Amino acid sequence: MARGRSLGALIPGRSRTRPPRPFLRFLARRFVALLLLGLGITLVAFLLTNLVPGDPAAANLGQRAIEDPAAVASFRERYGLDKSLPEQYGIYVWRLVHGDLGESQQARLPVTEELGTFIPATAELALLSILIAVVVGVGLGILAAIRQNRLTDHVLRVVSLTGVSMPTFWLALVALYVFFFRLNWLPGTGRLDPQFSEPEHRTGFFTIDALLQGEWATAGDAARHLVLPALVLALYNIGLLTRYTRAAVLEVVNNDYIRAARAKGISERRVVLRHVLRAALPSVLTVIGLAFANVMTGAVLVENIFAWPGIGQYAYRSATTLDLPAIMGVSLFVAVVYIVVNFTVDVLYGVIDPRIRVS
Amino acid sequence: MLSRFTPRRALLVAAALVAAIAVAAAAANSTSSEQAATGTLVIDKSFDLKTADPQRQFEVTGGIVAHVLYDTLLEFRGSDVTTPRPSLATGYRASNGAKTYTFTLRRNVRFSDGAPLRSSDVVFSFRRLINLKGNPSFLLAGVTVSAGGPYTVILRSRTPNPALPAIVANGSLGIVNSRLVRANGGTDAVGADKTDKAESFLNRTSAGSGPYLLRSFNTTSRVELTANPRYTGRRKAKFATVVIRNVLAPAQLLSVQRGTNEISLDLSPDQARPLFGNRNVNVQAISGPNIWFLFANSNSKISSITSNKRFQNAIRYQLDYAGLVRLAGRGSGRAAGVVPSQFLGALADAAAIKQNTTRAKAELAASGLTNPEIELEFPSDFTSSGLSFGVIAQKIQADLAKIGIKVNLAGKPIATSLANYRAGTEQLGLWLWGPDYPDPNDYLVFLPGQLVGLRAGWAAGSDRRLEALGRRAGSTSNPRVRGQLFQQIQVQLNQRGPFFPLFQPGQVVAASKNLTGVVYNATFQIDLATIGSR
Repeated sequence: MARGRSLGALIPGRSRTRPPRPFLRFLARRFVALLLLGLGITLVAFLLTNLVPGDPAAANLGQRAIEDPAAVASFRERYGLDKSLPEQYGIYVWRLVHGDLGESQQARLPVTEELGTFIPATAELALLSILIAVVVGVGLGILAAIRQNRLTDHVLRVVSLTGVSMPTFWLALVALYVFFFRLNWLPGTGRLDPQFSEPEHRTGFFTIDALLQGEWATAGDAARHLVLPALVLALYNIGLLTRYTRAAVLEVVNNDYIRAARAKGISERRVVLRHVLRAALPSVLTVIGLAFANVMTGAVLVENIFAWPGIGQYAYRSATTLDLPAIMGVSLFVAVVYIVVNFTVDVLYGVIDPRIRVS
Repeated sequence: MLSRFTPRRALLVAAALVAAIAVAAAAANSTSSEQAATGTLVIDKSFDLKTADPQRQFEVTGGIVAHVLYDTLLEFRGSDVTTPRPSLATGYRASNGAKTYTFTLRRNVRFSDGAPLRSSDVVFSFRRLINLKGNPSFLLAGVTVSAGGPYTVILRSRTPNPALPAIVANGSLGIVNSRLVRANGGTDAVGADKTDKAESFLNRTSAGSGPYLLRSFNTTSRVELTANPRYTGRRKAKFATVVIRNVLAPAQLLSVQRGTNEISLDLSPDQARPLFGNRNVNVQAISGPNIWFLFANSNSKISSITSNKRFQNAIRYQLDYAGLVRLAGRGSGRAAGVVPSQFLGALADAAAIKQNTTRAKAELAASGLTNPEIELEFPSDFTSSGLSFGVIAQKIQADLAKIGIKVNLAGKPIATSLANYRAGTEQLGLWLWGPDYPDPNDYLVFLPGQLVGLRAGWAAGSDRRLEALGRRAGSTSNPRVRGQLFQQIQVQLNQRGPFFPLFQPGQVVAASKNLTGVVYNATFQIDLATIGSR
């Protein structure tokens, strides 16, 4: 892809052009796409949830209350289920425009309030997990590539394959058994030990909230509780990133401009870090972005096993009880995460690689 | 940052992370050992929690919480579920053929904010329960509540209701501080289902007179309780703090062995097997109050096969009941009838139907059906006491295959299967019935034309003799006579009903060895207030 251009223009780091107008148009297009996609997601989620052969009243009311016409009527009226489907959807969208995601049928709380509790719990876990995965996975991927076909490479390939192959729920249980039950190195389930109370909600990140309130012991305990689930979640992504980074680095390392850089007498370390890695990063970045989105939206099993009150648990509970407002809220959240992550990755492409920015 | 990123540094960072984990681990060890000194009791439970509002909650976890936040007029003590004892009421008097109950309140009771508890609080709580039209509202269906004085409460039922003393012991009938709840948006007026706004307040603060107070409440992670310093009753809190955590059973198994002051409530008998003989854990495995049953739909429009009485008998006599009990695991017991063994009117094991393959084959032959093929529906994603419906369904399939009945398993997510069950469209259904309150009246639902009877396609008028017996048993107040009548009902149900009671699964309670007063009760599971430590 780099052939036919002058070396100076192609070597990353040389170009310092300002973001052109097309970039602003790109931003605007993405924002409109986000709105339309969000709306589409609500429609699909709404239709699919209503196609499920089940009755939210039956799923949420008890076995006696469901036989009481007054209780059923009260439930249907409260959640607008007595209206036609188009009417229900119209009301939902109208409220959504005003920032109201409705009320959860299970907890009878505003969905926005519930998401405000569950999302930070998952985000705190996902951020640490992805940080571990990036640092370890990218590092090992580079190491494997520069030691291609040597023992280190072979070992790392086996390790990464193991990482991506192991079922997360099994790994979570084994991790609990070994590090909590057997060795007692790390705490077991939950976000805090029983003797600590939850810090006052400011960001929803227990570590940060506790630090903001000067509760050092609580912050430390919250950090310790993060370690095991974050490591379990990270392991798959470490394997994934090791493999992708290795492949991306190997793809770049034999390009003409790399040979040219070496011919100019640039040290091997500088060649790898300034030229090879920078050119390889965009494709790795895509994987990092998707990995982060996956962790944010797909940690159901790990959250259940570690009793982590995050968005995965919320999604599971909502789905099993046909809690329509909550299902819609979670679906919207998932859509927004993927759109925002993809958008961020696209922007980062431009930051990392000026060729992409110019094009 | 990228310019400084080298493989060596990547490894160094990885090593630093491992070191950080080790440091955290060391710190974790130190905090774990401090747990006992803080006086914190830890309960691990797989949550089905929705609310801490007593008049809205009707779930197992909610019942455990409500039981210690809100006192009730009467209560069950220890493992007993047959005799309601005085609590807020010193006693009660039944009159007018079990249609009127007069309760006299204790005079020294105070709510946690110091306000005295009066009959107006009871009236408010009960009327609020009725008018909220929520899950537990049916408990007082047809009942009116009034005050006969500041310390007298009168309940009047449209029909004779000998179950009322057992019903008022239910946590949903916990008494709230009416002044406080009203001040925070609560109402007991008609239309409370639309106008009552007190739930969010009651999810933050308790407004009862129970031995514990609500400190924090989260429906997916944990509930924290603290001892009520103003408590005046018999069940004074022994721990400063109680934390109820939402934990899946496999993690509970590890936690209860690792922790102190810890109780696990959701282990299946199989999961609990490693704990028997563990020196640090006390394990109780006893029959729980849930009745697992199979039914064959009696509505010929749903199935001409399952509605055939001879075919129903073939199922009745072919099921390997002993094998099913073994499969359910340690502590499980045979369900001789639909009323659990702990309750008034339960049948003795000897009266239970026993497997008789010869008779089953004869009944099948007499049914006129050849190679019958039917569908068995059950909730595929739901477990109770750690027991999966799928496993039991497979055993039933295998049992019936031995006499030539082909059963197709049709497990569905509970949201779907529950709708079919309630609509009465299942041919064969595998379900359980958990007690709403510990009284045999709660099991009249299995009769023709009643709640569960209709789900099995058993319309009113299908068995007039049994229905008449049900009406008589439901309105008889003499406990001895009631017990006998319910036994007669179950014998007849076993002989000719579409229901096949299978077993009561073992309920496991695993607790740290140092804990005392850990007693399982079929209505509220455990009383947190009676639990102390050595």
